Amino acid sequence: METKVKSKALDTFKEAAETIVNPELKKWIDQGGKVVGYFCCYGPEEIITAAGLTPFRVRATGSTGTELADAYLTSINCSFCRHAFNMGLLGEYDFLEGVIWLNNCDHIRRIYDNWWRKVDTPLAHMMSLPKLQADKQVGWWREELVILKEALEKHLGVKITDDKLREAIKIHNETRRLLKQLYELRKKDKPPITGADTLAVVIASTSMPRAEFNEILKELLGELKDAEGIKDYKFRLMIVSSIMDDPKYIKLIEDLGGLVVTDSACYGTRTFWVEVDEKDKDPLGALARYYIQEKPSCPRMFRDFPQRSAHIQEMIKEFKVDGMIGLRMVFCDLWAGEFFMQEKNLDKADFPVLHMDREYLMAGTAGQVRTRVQAFMESIGGKR
Amino acid sequence: MTGRSLDDKCCQKLIQERDMLDMMVQTFTKTSTGTNLHMVPTKAFVDHHNEILRRYISGEPHITSYFCCAPEIYTAMDLPWNTFLTPAFTGAIMPTYHDEIDASGRMFRGMDLCTIIRLAAYIVEEDLVPPPTAVIAMLHPCDGINVVHQTMANNEKWKNIPVFGADPPYWADERSYEYYADELKKMVEFLEEHTGLKMDTNRLREVVKESNKQIRLWQEWNELRRAVPCPHGGAMGLEVFGEATTVHSGMPVGTAWLEDVIADAESLVKQGKGAVEKESIRVFWFDVLSLGLTLELFPWLEQEWGAVVAMEMFGYSPYTEIDTSTEDSMFKGLAKRALHEVPMIRQARGVADLFLSDIEKIVKDYKIDAVVYPGYMGHKDGSGSAGLMREKCRELGVPFMYIGMDLFDDRYTTLDELKDKFSKFFTSMGLG
Repeated sequence: METKVKSKALDTFKEAAETIVNPELKKWIDQGGKVVGYFCCYGPEEIITAAGLTPFRVRATGSTGTELADAYLTSINCSFCRHAFNMGLLGEYDFLEGVIWLNNCDHIRRIYDNWWRKVDTPLAHMMSLPKLQADKQVGWWREELVILKEALEKHLGVKITDDKLREAIKIHNETRRLLKQLYELRKKDKPPITGADTLAVVIASTSMPRAEFNEILKELLGELKDAEGIKDYKFRLMIVSSIMDDPKYIKLIEDLGGLVVTDSACYGTRTFWVEVDEKDKDPLGALARYYIQEKPSCPRMFRDFPQRSAHIQEMIKEFKVDGMIGLRMVFCDLWAGEFFMQEKNLDKADFPVLHMDREYLMAGTAGQVRTRVQAFMESIGGKR
Repeated sequence: MTGRSLDDKCCQKLIQERDMLDMMVQTFTKTSTGTNLHMVPTKAFVDHHNEILRRYISGEPHITSYFCCAPEIYTAMDLPWNTFLTPAFTGAIMPTYHDEIDASGRMFRGMDLCTIIRLAAYIVEEDLVPPPTAVIAMLHPCDGINVVHQTMANNEKWKNIPVFGADPPYWADERSYEYYADELKKMVEFLEEHTGLKMDTNRLREVVKESNKQIRLWQEWNELRRAVPCPHGGAMGLEVFGEATTVHSGMPVGTAWLEDVIADAESLVKQGKGAVEKESIRVFWFDVLSLGLTLELFPWLEQEWGAVVAMEMFGYSPYTEIDTSTEDSMFKGLAKRALHEVPMIRQARGVADLFLSDIEKIVKDYKIDAVVYPGYMGHKDGSGSAGLMREKCRELGVPFMYIGMDLFDDRYTTLDELKDKFSKFFTSMGLG
């Protein structure tokens, strides 16, 4: 299954998703621009942008092994972490001026402990993300944002003013709006873009200088607006997942006839479905509220399952979804619990769901994935 | 009348567990010639189970909580608490244990989720635990415990039970302790509202003072274990931890038992006697202990290799005494305990540094010959620190072994495999 329109903009995004240092990022670095990495969609990109840096969400695209990382992590640590840390040890992330972590999960938080000891990144910064979402936690997270802001200011010798923060929020909100517009096009009966290509766009949004990304995405939206849509699909599917940054995985599903039309994923709607309040006089307060209370949460947020479910239900309804595929990284406790609860709820509603465990690299498992997705689609057919 | 009875399905597992523990108590009574130090902790659990069952039937308040959620407060409120974690720890003596582990795996469509957590979620899902008046959820130190409480809140029978979770910061500093102290104060308000019980500050002061006394005794016992030969092996560590932080936390009966433990250890040290007749290897077991390990693996290590577990994660007390002068100072002290001092929580909750500094201190203080990190399949954060632990041991010149096992499922790495691993490790390191 392919996106029909031939687009240079889309090719740019696809290249960005397939590489670490994409041409736009390289250009930024060559011009003296600095890049700061972060490991999770709770990473406050806006503060990095406000410091005059490009935020880059750390991936392990292109990794082929975990030999170096395995001296520090073990086989019960998630394979994304092992591959990402391995790339750090190999020097693939030497272009980063700093990396920001938070205690989002037991695996990623330990990358911080190993990384700052073993990888020569000038700034390694850890943040304490609350697990509750009341106003008190917004206050705590705001303090953590201040600590990050001060750490960046000290390290770079810059001043991150409220005006710079407001400007950064505007740029990132524009990304969110544009991505939402892209998703709106997928609501059509004949969506003009595949799920795999959409994922590439979302990945690119975390890997390119943001203002430039926005301009290229506007170009793509213009091209897609009246483009020929995809009609040769059997079912409209939705992906629910934690980290899923491999468009080839989605392509494999789509080549079997299931067009992925939306998601609840951290390379997906959970990062852009809601915008940060631009009118708030306190930009850090607005950011704190956004990350703790407003953005669709991840399973680590305690007792927010009803809201997460509501987000999924909204997606199912708005995008006319026929079936949901849940993708969990092996050894992820948080998503094991989340899928157990989701399955119970969706079973009650007799809604087709397939939950699959996956390793970060698809290599060697494609056949298995294909078989399971085929069987799932047959079962959807039976229910129709 | 509550309409509840001991015949209710939710009571059966607790009754079975109580009866098995009671059988152990009867065995101790029949076979002991002098003081049997295992008697008090084991009987405490029998009494605890009886009290939970009684309160379930009468409708009197009881809660679900954990050793790292300031149990001193529950003692001060005279509020018994049950924990979801017990089934994993006592599993080795339960006849249906393997079936339950397997069923919990089917429930989560896989076995890679922490076994303790799977079992805890399973017993709630299958109505195998009496529903409490309220739940104090533990949100640290790991992802798994968060999962239990979220699945529980989604369970038909449990979804209307009030839940309070204190939000744990990642740091261990004054700001974090103050933040968490405030969370604990909110927890007291929650408990007062839902149990109808009141917390009296003076009573809390008495309990915390008693708990401070227990901590002092625990540390005195730690000191005695520096002796060569080591007077008590690893099994006792689990019991000391249990008395000071669970059923007898802040209670004189726990203090008296700790005094007996010290007297026993002191007497053994004076006589030059150790837990092992001919001690040749001193092991630091750096993880949780289960009854299965202490009943099977540790005795084999002692008999076959003269290896004594001279210190273990749960037997080591890094606690500091709590300032009881004001209510605020007590809450801050309890917060520090909950975040930074309780064994396992202290290492696993925040950054990995405490894994390393604890190894360094314990290896030096307890003349450790070998550090064993079991690599429990549920402790993803600990396994993510394994390489750093290995490097620390290398720096200290002490052999390190990472096993990779399920502490609560003896089929994951069988006893025979463990024996083989230990034998090869000791031999290759020239120990024993």
